[in-house]
Parts: sequence; C-alpha cells; structure tokens
Amino acid sequence: MRLTSNRFSQLFPFCWRDLALTAGILACASGLCALLRFVTRDGGFAPLVFVLAVLLVSRLTTGYLFGLTASVLGVMGVNFIFTYPYWKIDFSLSGYPLTFLTMLTVSLITCTMTTRVKQQDSLRLENEREKMRANLLRSVSHDIRTPLTSIVGATSTLLDPSAQLTASENHQLLEDVNEDAQWLIRVVENLLSITRVGDSQADIKKEPEAAEEVLGEAVRKFRKQYPQVEIQVQAPNELLMVPMDAILIEQVLANLLENAVLHGKHTTAIRLSVWKDRHYARFSVEDNGCGIPPQILPSLFNGALPQEPERASDGKRNMGLGLTVCRTIVAAHGGSVEAHNLPSGGAEFSFRLPLAKEEAQ
Amino acid sequence: MKIREKVLIVEDEHSIARFISTILTSHGYESLGAQTGAQAQSLISSWCPDLVILDLGLPDMDGMEILKSLRTWSSLPVVVVSARSHERDKVTALDLGADDYLTKPFGTDELLARVRTAIRHTRTTSQNSEIARTGSYTVDELTIDYNKHQVLLRGENVHLTLSEFRIVALLGKYAGKVLTYDYLIKELWGPRAGNDNQILRVNMANIRRKIEKNPAEPHYIFTEVGVGYRMVESE
Repeated sequence: MRLTSNRFSQLFPFCWRDLALTAGILACASGLCALLRFVTRDGGFAPLVFVLAVLLVSRLTTGYLFGLTASVLGVMGVNFIFTYPYWKIDFSLSGYPLTFLTMLTVSLITCTMTTRVKQQDSLRLENEREKMRANLLRSVSHDIRTPLTSIVGATSTLLDPSAQLTASENHQLLEDVNEDAQWLIRVVENLLSITRVGDSQADIKKEPEAAEEVLGEAVRKFRKQYPQVEIQVQAPNELLMVPMDAILIEQVLANLLENAVLHGKHTTAIRLSVWKDRHYARFSVEDNGCGIPPQILPSLFNGALPQEPERASDGKRNMGLGLTVCRTIVAAHGGSVEAHNLPSGGAEFSFRLPLAKEEAQ
Repeated sequence: MKIREKVLIVEDEHSIARFISTILTSHGYESLGAQTGAQAQSLISSWCPDLVILDLGLPDMDGMEILKSLRTWSSLPVVVVSARSHERDKVTALDLGADDYLTKPFGTDELLARVRTAIRHTRTTSQNSEIARTGSYTVDELTIDYNKHQVLLRGENVHLTLSEFRIVALLGKYAGKVLTYDYLIKELWGPRAGNDNQILRVNMANIRRKIEKNPAEPHYIFTEVGVGYRMVESE
C-alpha cells in the first residue's frame, strides 16, 4: 500500500514551481493564439500552438502530472476558445478526437522521456559518488594499514624481553610509534571531515567567517607541529568574510600545508595567503619544495593517484586522501581546487570559494 | 611539605585514565579515578578535588549531566575531555560551565597547560589575580588597564572603541580560557542581542588590526574556530 502511494507520488510529483511554469506556458500559448487570431482572423493554428505548449510543459516539469494536465487543458482551451463555435465546448467538431489524441500522445511521450533522462542523470551522479567513495576507502585503508603495522611491530619489539635494545634504539622505536600515531590521528580527522560534508551540497552549513581567523588557526596548529618550517601569512587589510564551514576549510588548509612539507621533500618556507578575486576568495599555499612530478599533476585530486613506479605501492605517505578530502570539501562549497608548479621551483596549491553576493560587489 | 592539588579523573577507558593519571602524578598532582558518573558524583562531594577531568561518554550517564548538576552548587573547575569533536558539543559544554574542552586525541603538554590554567583561575575570586592586585593585565607587550579603560601596546594607547575595549577586557579577565561567541555577545550587548556573530567578527577584526602585528597571525587573541576566542595567558 505504502509502496503504491510512493510510486504514485514519484510519477506525479507536485511542486509550486512546476505549477507556475505550466500556468505561465499555457497563458503564453493562449495569448499567442489570441494575438494571431486578432491579426490573421483565423483560428486554424491554435491546435499547433497548444501542441508546442504541451511539449514544453512536459519537457520542463518533473513527472507526468503537469504534462497530462496541460494536454487536457490544451484540448479544452482549443475547443472552447479558439475554434468555432467560440466559447462553447463542441465535441462534434471534425478532427477533434485527433487533436485530443495528438496532444495526449505528445505529452505522454515527452513526459516519459524527460523522466527517464532525469533518472539516468541521478543514477550517473550516484555512480560517480560511489566511485569516489571507493577511491577514498582504498586510500584510507592504505593510509591506515602501514602505520599500524609499524606501531604493532615497534611495540612488540619493545615488549619482547629477549630483544636486547640500547637506550637509543628504544627511544627511536618509541619516536616512530608516536609519529605513526600522529599520522593516524590526521587520517581520522580527514575522515571526520568527509562525514561532515555528507552526500550533497545541501548538507554543509555555510556561515560567513573571517578568512584571516581561519588562516590564523590553521597556521597556529601547523607551527606547533612543524616549528622548523618558516611560514608567512598574508590576508587582505580589509576584512574578508567568506561563507564557509570554517572547520572544514581549516582542514583543507591543514592538509595543503602538511602536504607542502611531506611531499615538498626539502620544503623550508611556505607562504599562505588569501585575497579577493572578483566573486571569489582565493586561498593559496606556495612552497619552495621539489614541486609536483608532472606525470601525476593531471590526476592529483581524484583520489586515484598512479603509484610512482620506483616506490611501488607501499609508499607510506600517500597524499591521495588529503587531496581527495580537499577537493570534496571545496566542491561542496561550490569552489574549485588547482595545483601547479612555480617557475621558481616548489608548488602552489590554491582553491577558491564563492563570496556572498553583497561581498562580491 | 607542599600541598598537592587533587584531580579527579572521570574516564571509563582504562588506558586513557591511566596515562592521564601518570602524567598528572609525575607533575606533582594527586589523582584519583572514577569510572562511572555515579562514582564521580560521590567522589566530588567526599574527596573534594581541586579539579575534575571529565569524559563525556560514560557508561551510566552523559558527562554533560554531571556538569549540569555540579554547576548548580559548585564552581569547581572542570576540564572536559571528549572524543566528540563537533564544535556544537564544545559550545554546549562551555556554556554549561566547563572551564575548558579538550578533544581526543590531545597531547600531554596541552593537557597539563589546561589543567594549570583551570586550577589557577579558581585560586582567586576575581578570576584573574593580577587584575585584582594591580588593576591591569599584562601579557608580553600588551597591557589592559581596567581603571583607565585603556589598552596599551608597548606603553602606547591603541585607542580602542568602547565595545572593542569591553571585548578585550573580558577576554583578559578570563585569559587562557575560551569564551564562546554566545557568551561574549550576551555579556556585551545583552541577552536579547540574538546570535549574530557578524558584529563580533567585525569588532575582533578591528581589535586585531590595532594590537596584532599581522591579524592573520594573532599573538594575543586566538580564534577557536566555530567556538569562540581565547586570550593568551601570561606566564
């Protein structure tokens, strides 16, 4: 029972936008007919105009409800207003059943096609999401397994009474464990961000935030972790408010900053800046590291990094997850991420977020 | 012999309770553990700790409940330690009267710093003993003069507006502690000011332009994204 009513509401969904659209198109058709009749004193093309109107309604609205309604109304309208005898319903008109059938068929076929196209669209979107989720899971499992292995290995060595370790070896093992655990923490932070983004754009809660505050926080945390890297921060003198989920954008910045250190290999200085770029706020992270290998540049953000041949598939510090998370978060904000190498060596990662309308002007 | 401060650790995960108690003991605190909310409540009244470290996810009740009932009769400092990382939870705990909020996983340095700050704040009646003694609060090159209603940077008046001064004054009074946006707005513009953070952001941006070298790299007032602001504490 529940299922039938569900199916019914799927095939005949109602929404005010579609209602207004239908009314508008039919009104236009009537107006056009009235005008043509007034100019040419002939009502013969009224059915054609209405067939076109019914076609448009069926194409532009969702489901069957409005298309079918429009075809019925169209037939009535043609009969009632635009064919002799005017202002009378006359079922004995020659060709009348044909007009009726034509309109009904047009609306049915168009509605069916439209509905199917829309279904296919949503199916394709679903597939894409599924693919991204799979990519993400793959890179997560990879990011987790390697440090776990090393933690288990190091701690069991430390616990083993027969292993005779020097104090410095002991210390080294513990330091590795600590470093790996920190890495795992960051993986988990990224996963949490993903759950926060949810499945669709509507799920993130954007609020106007001061860009400089988010930058400041990201830098403060980064400094604590990598005190040896010099970092320069630039924000515009005029306060820049950007609609965003600040926690997520902070995560994006943290990932980009960390990548600059871990993948720049010999990064010693980073410049983090934000500025207003017409209708967008652009955030940029520039480093003086080794740059991005050109062969991975095109596929950097889709979570499916081709493994570098010399490192095979067990390079521990895979940057797949961090960048996939960045792309997902920024895309959910309606922005985009870019990466390129700087002429001076090093890499620049930047992303832009749309500003609120009044800010952009 | 020095009197050791007593810390009650309310945490049902043994490994976490153990590592917290180890750090605290090795830094001169006396610690005791409670695994459930009921146990925590009876120990708070019988053992009289100086500080409570409270985990929110307890087997028998939500840590927020303990906090709520504790605040009806005591201002005993509470540092919440939780795996819930959403800023909504932080804000709720802080607004319920928690002195600080640490998200798991946290570092030992961070834990010790928060514990020290929270205990220090209860020692004096006016939240900040320096203000009570001298009428001003100084951290690095910044001085908040509560008598003259001025903020000085390297001895120079930075000319804050009235609302700007009140924000800085309030943060200084509770230096080291996060004040939530909501709390600040209510304190400054009254309970009916609504929840619009915008005006606070704009004020803060102006303050930072007057007292910080680089507003995007604050030295005196930090942002806790999605939660509130915190002024740095003098050592």
